[in-house]
Amino acid sequence: MALLTEQEKIAAVGSIRPIRSRNFALTVPALLLLVVFFILPVVSLLLRSVMEPEPGLQNYQALLGSTTYLKIFLNTFSVSALVTAVTLAIGFPVAWALAIMPKRWASIVFAVLLLSMWTNLLTRTYAWMVLLQRTGIINKTLMGLGLISEPLPLVNNLVGVTIGMTYIMLPFIILPLYGVIRKIDPAILQAAALCGATRWQALSRILIPLAAPGMVSGALMVFVMSLGYFVTPALLGGTANMMLAELIAQFVQSLVNWGMGGAAALVLLVVTLALYAVQLKLFGTARMEGR
Amino acid sequence: MTFLQIRGLRKDYGIVTAVRDVNLTVERGEFMTFLGPSGSGKSTTLYILAGFENPTAGDILLNGDSLISTPSHKRNIGMVFQRYTLFPHLSVGENIAFPLKVRRLPKAEIDAKVAKMLKLVRLEGFEDRKPAQMSGGQQQRVALARALAYDPPVLLMDEPLSALDKKLREEIQHEIRRIHQETEVTILYVTHDQEEALRLSDRIAVFSKGVIDQIGTGPELYANPATRFVAEFVGDSDFVDCRVLSAQNGRADIAVGSSLTIRGVPMHGRAAAGGAAALMLRPERLSLARGSVGQGSANLAATVTDITFLGSNIHVAAAAETGEALSVRLPFGHEAASSLSRGDTVSLGFDPASAHVFSA
Ligand SMILES: Nc1ncnc2c1ncn2[C@@H]1O[C@H](COP(=O)(O)OP(=O)(O)OP(=O)(O)O)[C@@H](O)[C@H]1O
Ligand SMILES: [Mg+2]
Repeated sequence: MALLTEQEKIAAVGSIRPIRSRNFALTVPALLLLVVFFILPVVSLLLRSVMEPEPGLQNYQALLGSTTYLKIFLNTFSVSALVTAVTLAIGFPVAWALAIMPKRWASIVFAVLLLSMWTNLLTRTYAWMVLLQRTGIINKTLMGLGLISEPLPLVNNLVGVTIGMTYIMLPFIILPLYGVIRKIDPAILQAAALCGATRWQALSRILIPLAAPGMVSGALMVFVMSLGYFVTPALLGGTANMMLAELIAQFVQSLVNWGMGGAAALVLLVVTLALYAVQLKLFGTARMEGR
Repeated sequence: MTFLQIRGLRKDYGIVTAVRDVNLTVERGEFMTFLGPSGSGKSTTLYILAGFENPTAGDILLNGDSLISTPSHKRNIGMVFQRYTLFPHLSVGENIAFPLKVRRLPKAEIDAKVAKMLKLVRLEGFEDRKPAQMSGGQQQRVALARALAYDPPVLLMDEPLSALDKKLREEIQHEIRRIHQETEVTILYVTHDQEEALRLSDRIAVFSKGVIDQIGTGPELYANPATRFVAEFVGDSDFVDCRVLSAQNGRADIAVGSSLTIRGVPMHGRAAAGGAAALMLRPERLSLARGSVGQGSANLAATVTDITFLGSNIHVAAAAETGEALSVRLPFGHEAASSLSRGDTVSLGFDPASAHVFSA
């Protein structure tokens, strides 16, 4: 159940485009689909969050007024931010390398990326569990090499969550970044070099600003997807750093408290939409050359 | 000391040799153009100078010091590219300031220099525009300003005007000439347009298939082409098949067709007596007379195939007795040309000393 919604969300987020079609009739089936499968559940959640167990805003008060829940919010945001930062830090050089490497090699790397995306999420997360656990390959290798004497705690904590989620999020940042970097004429970087810019200056003053729209949209997508992530934090994380999706699951499944669960889900939705609004405002309509 | 010296330069890409045996010296302040057809190795040579490519062999000396191991960003060389390479996210002023900012010059100095450069390329008042808001010609002028802002000893230009239309191209050629005179910067310029090369350059290096065929001033190349390729590429030319009868001291006696013998034609390349060769004539140095002139003098018999009026001159196309298509350029008002019509037999005369023979 949770798996399916993850995948659906990925697909939906990836395909948001401004509607250009003049023929409104053609959009009716899609709009209907949206109403039935998205708007209706959201509205029903909203209703339940303000109606159960009795009408009023007490669910939101409880949620936003308790330090336990606020901690979970905070943790959700900081884990998402951390994952986004690590994903960007790894994804940028990878996207750059992909953009400049010979086409044939790049398509092999892409095949690997896509293959990993198409592999079942649960399988991939369990694979990381096997790799990261106390007796896993990573700890065994490090101990075998004599680099450590005790197994490192790599799972059931922040490290495990970050590794597992970064791995899953990487394609979502590499693909948009690859798109923008590939459009940058290499001659522009050659010009920068002849102007006297070191590699670092060319990167920070030319390449990164030119890649910024791709970085922002990729980072935002990763951040938002991370906010609502369930499987990986549940399997690789510890109890100390619970994330919002786990809380919602707990409300609904263990406590059968739809009111609280709905309130938490709506807070998440509002934050997500606000972030998209910010991105659209910054990079949506304005062209980077045109201002 | 020689200002810029290129010695035995060679670049291989796998089994392809892009350039080889490039030897060249450039004086300070000179305008040197690399002229040649597509794929002849002009850009490769320029890119090695810029430090984007490492040569397979050879060396580049600037004021006696080798540049080869210096990375691009430390060479202090300016370059204007064929494609538009302004930084799209920076304004015109910021683009010109970029090389000065990475050199960490004080702000006042940068501002003064940017203003000076905008004045040099006549774009005062454009500093706040983004590159996308400028025309192609304006963008290349900004690129020129950016490349000159740090007073480079050498400016490289790789077909900077090839994306512009003819009129704009001529306008900016004038600008480039003026800027060259004002700044006295040494320029290495790449083009495949002979007119552009002749108009701009002090000297021209003619590239063909990865080697330099000849280096010289425009008039030198035109009057004394070293190879058939240079003769074809610089100016218009007519070629007639011939046979070398004897050759010595750079002059040859040749036979054209069965009946015509011409003595003392400047000879290029080696040819044994009896070997096949090509006689090269310049269309505007041919004289035209109606009918046939007596045998033995330097006269080719030909039949007129077409006559075109081109304003200040008249272009006559003719077929030589031996079959080659020839063109003749006559001044407007030329007596014989006025009554000429297709199919007429004419005699084309030339001075053997101004003709050339290239061994086949
Ligand atoms: N990176 C490369 N890899 C393989 N071959 C190359 C490479 N760059 C250039 N060449 C080859 O080297 C030769 C010279 O190329 P170069 O770009 O110097 O020509 P050019 O004179 O500048 O031509 P154009 O007028 O088309 O720009 C060509 O045959 C080209 O195919
Ligand atoms: Mg070129």
